[in-house]
Amino acid sequence: MSANHHGEVLKHHFDNLEQQHAAERLGMWFFLVTEVLFFSGLFVAYTVYRNWYPAEFAFASSHLILWIAGVNTGLLITSSLTMTLAIRSAQLGDRRALIRHLLATFVLGAGFLGFKALEYYTDINERFVPGVMFRTELAKAEEELAASHGAAGHHGTAQHWAADLAKNNAGKSYTDPGYISPGRVQLFLCFYYIMTGIHGIHILVGLGCILWLVQQAAAGKIPRENYSTVEVVSLYWHLVDMIWLFLMPLLYLAGAGTHAAGH
Amino acid sequence: MHTEHKVDDPPTMHDVDSPGAMFLVFLVVLGLAVANILLATTGLGKLALPVQLGIASVQAVLVAYYWMHMRRGDQVVTLSALSSLFFVFIFYVLVLSDVLTRWRIAM
Repeated sequence: MSANHHGEVLKHHFDNLEQQHAAERLGMWFFLVTEVLFFSGLFVAYTVYRNWYPAEFAFASSHLILWIAGVNTGLLITSSLTMTLAIRSAQLGDRRALIRHLLATFVLGAGFLGFKALEYYTDINERFVPGVMFRTELAKAEEELAASHGAAGHHGTAQHWAADLAKNNAGKSYTDPGYISPGRVQLFLCFYYIMTGIHGIHILVGLGCILWLVQQAAAGKIPRENYSTVEVVSLYWHLVDMIWLFLMPLLYLAGAGTHAAGH
Repeated sequence: MHTEHKVDDPPTMHDVDSPGAMFLVFLVVLGLAVANILLATTGLGKLALPVQLGIASVQAVLVAYYWMHMRRGDQVVTLSALSSLFFVFIFYVLVLSDVLTRWRIAM
């Protein structure tokens, strides 16, 4: 280690670099604890409503786009690997590899957001959004279903989820077994948009931090002695990855195997 | 890679991850994600939620232990992580003990 870098990196209030790195990691861990508490409130609320309305949650979940969730899971897990490789590069003082791994992480994270944007775009196009869009599309599907009685081969213009819901509830009242409440389906969609939206914002923040790391590395401000700067950002990135590992099955697999998936 | 480390040494080499271990963790976590999706499509019924969350928990433990370096055994980090799990436990127990036992009006 060069004495110069040691002096530049070590803050005056720490005895040595190891103590400084441990303090930096601990500070990030304290922040991560608050993040876990924040998300766990959402997870608890989701658990309660899924327990109350399992059929509606399964129905809505089965109409989400599973292949995008699968691809995004792969992208995030791979980005966690490249982030860990970035720490190793920083520890070894390999600046070019550090920048390369950080950029790979950025591209994978941006890919996640790109697919997420495609998913939101498709959902909105299909009017699978709680509120006016949902109600009008369902009403349209119900009208088309009523008009098609006896007309073999009739194909409506309503979205597949609305047609499925209208068909399922045809001739049933809300107290009948098998009836799927449209209101509760919309409740699931609220959870879906809020949880994935907040998670997406976290990804966006992480991407900003990674770009900052790239800039710092390019400027030569991340010498070996300062590798914990990369590690601290990686802790945040891994937590965001970890939260997705729970979000994915809860939101996308709740209805897998129970209904014909829409996508 | 573990080498002899003293406090005054540059703390850059004493705990550098080996690429082999990192890739192995990657393959296991990715494989579990694929297994989770494939198992769900087979229709596990009531077992679906516990199986899915069980797989996700194993993935989370692997990520935390290896990639977030909890394996280093830093006691305050471990305490922080466990404290967050403890609060999550309280959230779930207090809420579900009410929700799962309370009489509800049929809606």
